[in-house]
Amino acid sequence: MLTTTTLERLLSISLARGGDYADVFCERRLSTAFRLQDGRIHEGAFVVTQGVGVRVVVGESAGYGFSDDLSAAALERAARTASLIAHAYNEGARSMNVTSSRVLPLYDETRSTHAASEAYVGLLERADVAARRYDSTVIAVNASVSDELQDVWIATSDGKCVHDHRPLVTLGVQVISKRDGERGNGYAGDGGRTSIAFYDQRTPESIALEAAAISQTNAHAIPCPAGEMEMIVGAGGGGVLLHEAVGHGLESDFNRQGVSLYSGRVGEPVASELVTIYDDGNLPHERGSLSVDDEGNPGSHNVLVERGVLRGYMQDYMNGRLMGVGSNGHGRRQSFRVLPQPRMCNTYMPNGESEVDEIIRSTKRGLFAKSFAGGQVEISKGDFVFMVAEGYLVENGKVTSPVRNATIVGNGPEAMTRVVAVGNDGRLANRHYTCGKGGQYVPVGVGMPTVKISSITVGGSNVG
Amino acid sequence: MVNGNLIEIARGAVDDAIMAGASECDVNVSQSERFSAEARDKTITKLEQSTAKSLTLRVFVSARKATLTTSDFERDGLRTAIERVVEAARHVAKDEHNGLPDELGLGAQAESLRLFWSDVAERAPEAKLDDVINMERIVRAADSRIQNSNGAHYSDVITTHALANSRGFSGEYRSTRASRSVSPVAFDGAAKRTSSYGTASRRLASLEPVDAVARTAVRRTVELFGARKPSTMRVPVIFERDVAGMVMHDVFAALSGTNVVTSNSWASERLGERIGSELANIVDDGTIPGALGTSPFDGEGVPTRLTTVFERGVLRSFLLDTYYAKRLGMHTTGNASSAGIGPNNFVLAPGTQSLEQLIAATHRGVLVLDTIGFATEYATGTYSRGARGFAIENGELAYPIDEFTIASTYPEMLAGLDAVANDLRFDASVVSPSFRVAEMTISGN
Repeated sequence: MLTTTTLERLLSISLARGGDYADVFCERRLSTAFRLQDGRIHEGAFVVTQGVGVRVVVGESAGYGFSDDLSAAALERAARTASLIAHAYNEGARSMNVTSSRVLPLYDETRSTHAASEAYVGLLERADVAARRYDSTVIAVNASVSDELQDVWIATSDGKCVHDHRPLVTLGVQVISKRDGERGNGYAGDGGRTSIAFYDQRTPESIALEAAAISQTNAHAIPCPAGEMEMIVGAGGGGVLLHEAVGHGLESDFNRQGVSLYSGRVGEPVASELVTIYDDGNLPHERGSLSVDDEGNPGSHNVLVERGVLRGYMQDYMNGRLMGVGSNGHGRRQSFRVLPQPRMCNTYMPNGESEVDEIIRSTKRGLFAKSFAGGQVEISKGDFVFMVAEGYLVENGKVTSPVRNATIVGNGPEAMTRVVAVGNDGRLANRHYTCGKGGQYVPVGVGMPTVKISSITVGGSNVG
Repeated sequence: MVNGNLIEIARGAVDDAIMAGASECDVNVSQSERFSAEARDKTITKLEQSTAKSLTLRVFVSARKATLTTSDFERDGLRTAIERVVEAARHVAKDEHNGLPDELGLGAQAESLRLFWSDVAERAPEAKLDDVINMERIVRAADSRIQNSNGAHYSDVITTHALANSRGFSGEYRSTRASRSVSPVAFDGAAKRTSSYGTASRRLASLEPVDAVARTAVRRTVELFGARKPSTMRVPVIFERDVAGMVMHDVFAALSGTNVVTSNSWASERLGERIGSELANIVDDGTIPGALGTSPFDGEGVPTRLTTVFERGVLRSFLLDTYYAKRLGMHTTGNASSAGIGPNNFVLAPGTQSLEQLIAATHRGVLVLDTIGFATEYATGTYSRGARGFAIENGELAYPIDEFTIASTYPEMLAGLDAVANDLRFDASVVSPSFRVAEMTISGN
């Protein structure tokens, strides 16, 4: 997007007042989306995100300026704004040299254009037909497809210059059913860092049917009993639990600042011995994967928790440097308009040894949370909340009634200490999760095997 | 910086879209100058400053709709993007409800709405940095248990907004917004706790002072030490102002045309019904001078107005733009925004008692100060959140509680609204005074 000479000039201006490090983040993102509602294509949307952000790091401080105007004057103004964080007034201009290096791609880098509009529209229409045919109690289908091509160019004052070309497709279907006056909501979505050819195998019909089945289940679900009980967390989508209950607390900004409950605890037990948690940025085509992160560092395999012991944090450049360990590929940002933060990529738990049947058989009274609709955590004390998207009661070793709108509340380390069984059926969830932190939203992946937690508080309106 | 004024850019995009084959279109253009700073302890840890711009074009091609959002204002790039969005519109279904509003106009004069305050626009950067350093100093000195912080923040933005459409409408206004907040972290030897408090306004002079923001944040952070999990029970629940506003956000979403039309709302077929108690009086008002949700016209150029949403518990109106109004055979309420339908100032009418009086009048119950969790089932109306706050016994705050959930449904909460406090403040576009719901389920031990 910018020439090497321009990048070097911007780095030079940004460090004119001093500073430890600077980087220039150039972005061009083209996104095409269509939305279906009431059985017809309701609207199309096209989004162009284009601009350049310049950052200067001085110790634990960062100065930032960005410009969506690519003229030399506007870019230089952004670089001068970023430089204001530094105070060495007499430093003078430093000359900068960057060398382009090749990135090992984790996704289809040959994709250069969007598909024809007909192709996106066709996927939505197929999903709509399939969902409506599922059952006559289906009263509404909303579906959307989006296809994004993001190009980033990152140049740093330590001489790095890399380009990454990131595709991302997502197809989501929401189905509402109404049975005996009760509404049931179901959502399913899938995609990844690939092209819409993905939906040749993972058909829109299969996604629509998943959503329809959940909405049917929820339409005849009973109110969830409230109180303490055992919980079985479903394989795949249950991984949201790891993301919230543990993942956010292991992001390095919170730990470097000492505000996370996991701060300073590397090497200490923080979970049951059955618990191992990885975060991988380098799984091909996964939603949370990055050939290089938004600071130009390659995505990698990171061990966060191993057999219950805390092994490390997810690091971006600035926090990794201040903690003396360096980045491990977790510096991410929503766009050129914001500073990077340490963020998760694909967070998951590897297989354990328990049979799923045995996990269910051993549960006397509990909640089987097959998937979650969303969650949130407070990272200082570790308290979390999840809303169950699809849940069932387990009574005397058997899965019985579906329950509606259960909410789980607990504390991260407490819940992880109470993990009493880990299944051998681990998998990554459908690829549709987006994580929010400090107002920035980025695509992520989650996954885990079926897991049993001995006791958790379930919220609901039915005091039982 | 944008060369030329925003209205000219908007009109140029309208012309280009019509040239590319659009039957009708409108264009929103905004440019904002943003400043934000963060301090931790004695150090400025973040300093961000930028000018950002954005253009949103809505095209209708024979009643088929598509939108373009772009930050690329260069003539060639913009034209290519416009041609592309017109092409996309041809693949959308024809829908006779699509189109521009009939009811265009400037509404109140922007000046009389007091959206722009020079005390924000002309504030010296040094004073802004003093704010964050001072908030950090005060919170760290206030209580020995406060040993850390997620940072003190100040930000402000000066926005110019213009709208033009193919029927010849054009309008423009400027606005300001400033906010400050701080989020201390306290440690009592066993656990860390954090909370935050902030203030926002269009006018610098209307912000709560640095000292008041810092002291409230400190109180919020330390008051919950020793919190325990309450037992599972059904009791009255008082929502403190900020969490009350979050409940009103969800009420707004369920009443927005987008959710009503798509059967994704508990309120879908209930217009005219008595759903809430006598105290459920809710309006959406885009004309309150100086408020954060005020503007002379909405995202389609329709003048903003006062809409009665709930009147003594009776649902009187949904919140609509032109499209969803036509779908429902109604009139737009002036709630179009670039993201669909959004609130102007969505407000629960205040009562006469103070929050303290509400607590004193509650024999046994719960005061909720904070909730976590945001997944919301608008279709079924289920409300369920993790919460923290205080147990109330004999009209007094007895002890702090956390790690529990509160649950009910939105219609039941509106019906159970039996006391509303007088502590309303306009620090967001959706605001509420503290209120009490007669009975909700608390799940704990």
